[in-house]
Amino acid sequence: MIENKKVHKFGMVIDLDKCTGCGACMVSCMSENNVPFKEDESNKKDSITWMRVYKLTNGKSFPETEIVYLPRPCQHCGGIGDHGHSPCVSVCPATATDYGYDTGIVSQIYTRCFGCRYCMGACPYHARYFNWWDPKWPEGMEKYLSPNVSPRMRGVVEKCSFCYHRYQLAREQAIVEDREIEEMEYQTACTTACPAGAIVFGDLNNPAHKVHQIVKPDPHPDPMNHKVVGKSRNPKVFRLLERLGTNPKVYYMSEREWVRKAGDNYLKGEWENVKTHHGASSSHG
Amino acid sequence: MDDALIPEGAKRCAFPIFMIGIIIVGAVLLWGVYAMFLCWFKGLNQTNMNDYYGFALWIWADLAVIAVGGGAFFTGLLKYIFKVDDLKNIINFAVIIGFICYSSALLILAIDIGQPLRGWFIFWHANVHSMLTEVAFCLSCYFAVLTIEFIPNILENRQVNKVPFFHHLAHNMHGVMAVFAATGAFLSFFHQGSLGGVAGVMFGRPFAYREGLLIWPWTFFLFTWSAAAFGPCFTLLVTKITEMITGKKLVGDKTVNLLAKISGWMITTYIIAKIIDTIYWAFVTAPSMGFKLGHFYSNNGFYGYWILITEVILCGVVPGLLLINKSTRENPATRTIAIILGVIGVCLNRWVMVLQIMAVPVLSFDTWALYIPSWQEVATTILPVAYGIILIAVAYRYLPVFPQELELNESADTAAQN
Amino acid sequence: MKIDRRSFLGLGLGAAAGIALSPVGVKLTDDSSIWTQNWPWTPVPEDGEITYDRSVCSLCPGACGISVRKINGRPVKIEGLDDHPINNGGACLHGIAGLQYLYDPARIKTPLKKNGNKFEKISWDEAISLVAGKLGEIRESGTPESLGLISGADNGSMAQLFRRFMDAFGSPNTYTMPSLESNLALTAAALHSADRSLGFDIDHSDFILSFGAAIIEGWGSPVACIQANASRHERKAKLVQVDYRLSNTANAADKIIAVKPGTEADLALGLCAVLLAKTKIAKDSLSGDVNKLAFSAMLEKEYTSDKVEAITGVKAADVEALAMAFIKAKAPVAVPGKGRGDVGQSLREFAAVQALNALAGRLNKEGGVFVMWPAGYLKFPENVMDDTAEQGAGKAKLAGSVTELVDKLEKDGGLSALFIYNANPCYALNNTEKVKAAMDKVGFKVSFSSFMDETALKSDVILPASIFLERLEDVVSGAGLAKTVVGLCRPMVKPVFDTKHPGDTLILLAQAMGDSIAEGFSWDSYEACLEEVTGDIWDTLSDDGYVVIDDKPPVGTPVTDFTFLSSAPKIDVPMGEGDFTLVPVDKMRLAGGSMISSPFAVKTVSDTVLSGKYSVVEINPATAGALKDGDVAVLKTAMGTVKVKIGLNEGIMAGVIGMPRGLGHTFNNPYVAGKGVNVNDLIGPVIEPGSGLDAAFGIKATLSKA
Repeated sequence: MIENKKVHKFGMVIDLDKCTGCGACMVSCMSENNVPFKEDESNKKDSITWMRVYKLTNGKSFPETEIVYLPRPCQHCGGIGDHGHSPCVSVCPATATDYGYDTGIVSQIYTRCFGCRYCMGACPYHARYFNWWDPKWPEGMEKYLSPNVSPRMRGVVEKCSFCYHRYQLAREQAIVEDREIEEMEYQTACTTACPAGAIVFGDLNNPAHKVHQIVKPDPHPDPMNHKVVGKSRNPKVFRLLERLGTNPKVYYMSEREWVRKAGDNYLKGEWENVKTHHGASSSHG
Repeated sequence: MDDALIPEGAKRCAFPIFMIGIIIVGAVLLWGVYAMFLCWFKGLNQTNMNDYYGFALWIWADLAVIAVGGGAFFTGLLKYIFKVDDLKNIINFAVIIGFICYSSALLILAIDIGQPLRGWFIFWHANVHSMLTEVAFCLSCYFAVLTIEFIPNILENRQVNKVPFFHHLAHNMHGVMAVFAATGAFLSFFHQGSLGGVAGVMFGRPFAYREGLLIWPWTFFLFTWSAAAFGPCFTLLVTKITEMITGKKLVGDKTVNLLAKISGWMITTYIIAKIIDTIYWAFVTAPSMGFKLGHFYSNNGFYGYWILITEVILCGVVPGLLLINKSTRENPATRTIAIILGVIGVCLNRWVMVLQIMAVPVLSFDTWALYIPSWQEVATTILPVAYGIILIAVAYRYLPVFPQELELNESADTAAQN
Repeated sequence: MKIDRRSFLGLGLGAAAGIALSPVGVKLTDDSSIWTQNWPWTPVPEDGEITYDRSVCSLCPGACGISVRKINGRPVKIEGLDDHPINNGGACLHGIAGLQYLYDPARIKTPLKKNGNKFEKISWDEAISLVAGKLGEIRESGTPESLGLISGADNGSMAQLFRRFMDAFGSPNTYTMPSLESNLALTAAALHSADRSLGFDIDHSDFILSFGAAIIEGWGSPVACIQANASRHERKAKLVQVDYRLSNTANAADKIIAVKPGTEADLALGLCAVLLAKTKIAKDSLSGDVNKLAFSAMLEKEYTSDKVEAITGVKAADVEALAMAFIKAKAPVAVPGKGRGDVGQSLREFAAVQALNALAGRLNKEGGVFVMWPAGYLKFPENVMDDTAEQGAGKAKLAGSVTELVDKLEKDGGLSALFIYNANPCYALNNTEKVKAAMDKVGFKVSFSSFMDETALKSDVILPASIFLERLEDVVSGAGLAKTVVGLCRPMVKPVFDTKHPGDTLILLAQAMGDSIAEGFSWDSYEACLEEVTGDIWDTLSDDGYVVIDDKPPVGTPVTDFTFLSSAPKIDVPMGEGDFTLVPVDKMRLAGGSMISSPFAVKTVSDTVLSGKYSVVEINPATAGALKDGDVAVLKTAMGTVKVKIGLNEGIMAGVIGMPRGLGHTFNNPYVAGKGVNVNDLIGPVIEPGSGLDAAFGIKATLSKA
């Protein structure tokens, strides 16, 4: 029973220079997690996509234009100081969303959620979606639904769970065989689907895992902003809205400066400072 | 026709005229009820809310009615705890308005949630970290208190009061009312505050987020303060409207001026705190998250600096000054203007703290999200207004709401008789 | 007992208090909340044992290996198959959404017969005898060549089985829809020799010069291409994209060479001219080639760098620099076929790019272009052909390509019956109105479609096909891959509806026809046929799920024949008038050609591509004039007028309007159809002399505010 004692911190790093915006992660997520669809999904503000791919551009004219696709699952925030009080978990009045201290995963209990949507207001990433409609599948199509993720009902909030059911399945197997979960045993549906190999998923606490090796998370609070813990010591790696202190477990990577800058908000002149200080804390790593 | 029910000595319009009024307002009410049932049976897709705009028009209405309903707890506090005896002339009405506001707030919440039948999970699976849990507990308890405060007034109806049991009950309840007033003030303080906290704790939303004291963000205190400050304005405004409709003077000038004066000082002190809060937020809190003030008030088709200036200066500083200044306070015209501005101001504050929060983009690559409510939302938001009008009309007609009514209108009546 | 008002009130109040204090209320409250958690209309998927099955996806020519997760034998998820030689675990969104096709609202559930404007259900027996009867009449009338066939892919046993049927019937009139595969085969035939294809070894190239090929948006075998692109960084391979808009591929490229739309061939020839003039390699590699002198002379005359600059808009110095960078790379390869390389392509362009490869000495080299032999794993027994068959099959084809066929049919007819398999010409070819008119000229149309798509709607009889998840089939890679892999598509589920494997349908039909045709189709089933014709590899195929036929460069350098290019072919496109050039834009998230998108795929489409019912067109802000982002505008071409939404986009060349391909379907699937416009409706075919290809890559257009 070694497994149960280990404290994991599952997270991912997405290489934005590899991402082609093909959408495989989105569909893999939808079909893995029984995400419903409706006739018109072109209003992206009411379209449930646990994994949404944003398109960013540098605003220059052709052929100097550059775009980057930014896949955005739930960021599984650790909250200020990474104490587990993520923006959404701390506000849910009915404990329908919870922080797993052994996994770092933010869960959502659909049958307990009563649809107040406070968590959606609190999430700056728009990672949470409300079931404005009853999910409906065309006749017969409900036959492809997976029993591992319960279909939701109208009036509740849903979001990416880092494919928690995949963790459960892998953990059960590992417990039966009295061993730890292997890195490749628990991978999210988006990670396995990505044809470009842009997504790397694993345990940020485990130095043997690729995600840890790429991110090199700093265990100490950021000296410039004590709310921030787990900042990457890789200068090419950043998180979205890191300055807010949400402490997401989804990291992004890019060689391009404008892309890294787009990850957060900066006052005039601040970026120049941040850019050079980024990774400065690696000295004590 | 219904003479037997009308308080002794009071003049009321003819029953058919009364009924015509009720039917007209009742039609609006039914329209709202229809929309409400649509939302319940078809779901919240009847609204124009979306995943960016999870809180919308009626949540603003919810916060606004709770804020303006703050007149009840604050007047009660002054009357029963601080023994400001003159307020007895308006306390009944303040309680009725509070009752309407809070029952409306609860109704709106019941429509707003996606799973109304699971609404009680907020109590059963309560998360003590959530401001909303605190809101739900205090709101429900305070509504119970308001009901208790309202009951003696109902029992004073001419026919009901004939029953000895009810007569004594009403009498004894008046006697212990201070206890409920104190409880109400305490509960109200917390839930008004936690409603402010709802916005202030959202550290993922730099427009809403405020630093604060211990677990309470500054908005916690600002909301309580503003409800206490502007609530009486609303009580006075509704009194004024009722007086205009009935064509009678219902509350004496002394009481009105007293409440206006208290409100004026509350508004003034509140607005000073609000200005300090805004400056600190604009120049310290938001910049620490990478935002300059202009980010929140530009690049969109609606939210400009005008909203900040209107809320703080025009509908905050101005009514505060008008009401603390004796001459403008006692001048009915300027007093009424101040009261109206005050009510607009607090409603605008709640609008900003609900809707503008949702509209402001946080991710650097996101855009402003503006939304237009659907008719169902508008109807359900108007529903409480119609319900309030009917309740006030019925209460005014059949209950001795205004103790000074007879005295203030005696001379006029006598003149008319002569 | 007399009940007065007082006791009545008391009783009532007492009862109310009693109920309030009893557990009834609590119980009802609890029950109602539990009811909301188990609404009967919220499905509860059945749980059970998890198993995984391997198969191959045949939605597109990519031929990716897939792993299907099942619960108690019920497929619930499709994923890429690990260690598969083509996609190595990766998958694309269309394949992952594959299960949606099983239950697609537009699926054809039983055989159908057109009666007036409506379809009526018929049994398989009826359907087969009806078609056999009609075909029998045609044969008896002595015009077997008036049976036509339009099909999708031209490889694998199903293609051969259809061809075999046509042969045995006595008709040479088989046509395939334009595809990258068919365009490459045509190029190989024109430049090297017939019956070959081209494979691009992008995986091992260190300098990929793409002439608009949407390498990461669905060109070729999409997943393999995306993976090849993803590994570029590690192997330090450069990608240079010749394009007029910022496609995702252009965006991923190290360098973009901006050219005017439709001048890619001119740039390629310009590069050839530079190479010939400046490098020894180019001159050497011409030795032994056919018509090399005429080609050299033509280049020297027509494609000086200045002239190329005038045509393409690429500066003369840049043309020269690009040519030198290309030749200096260790393993450069030039890739033709803008977008997905299917519709709107010309042989001129494909040949020009291939000539560049030939001049750079990149034929049959690792990291270059492979001039590949046919897969050759299928060994059909000799066909049985009677006199009628011999006679008919010996006649000339009506047309050289499907586009020419449409042209011919629309003008003078010429076919009395038509089979349509794996093709949706009424949607996928340019000027769909004309295609539909051509279809009306055919007396009897038999569709083998799985979905009631635009073409199926026009047919007289539908013999519905099981989809790839319901059937067994060999799926052979092609599509520009530099290797040949045969995969085995296996039934993952019993046919959901009353459909049949089209192979079985064809065998039944042949047997119903009797005589010599029946003799040539004497198998019990398609399965028996497949086992027989794949004899040599069947065991490996069924055990491993795939067989790698070839993954090394072919031996020797093939001869290149420059005859076609030496004539300096020119085509006059785009046609019509207008300030703008409208071009279709291929998007990874929207299926193009005859394939239909799934609801999931459509859901992922951005609101800058599809907005409500409108297609959003890309237009550079500099040329948008008074039109603002999100405006509804009227787009007019010589072929038609539609309403679109304006999407201002810095990433497209001024003067060009990009319209997404794959929208504007008109069949009965509310999740997929009725959205946007079909760009093919707006573009007229321009037939390229010599190849018969539809070279209309775009059309002139005007845009005005609605």
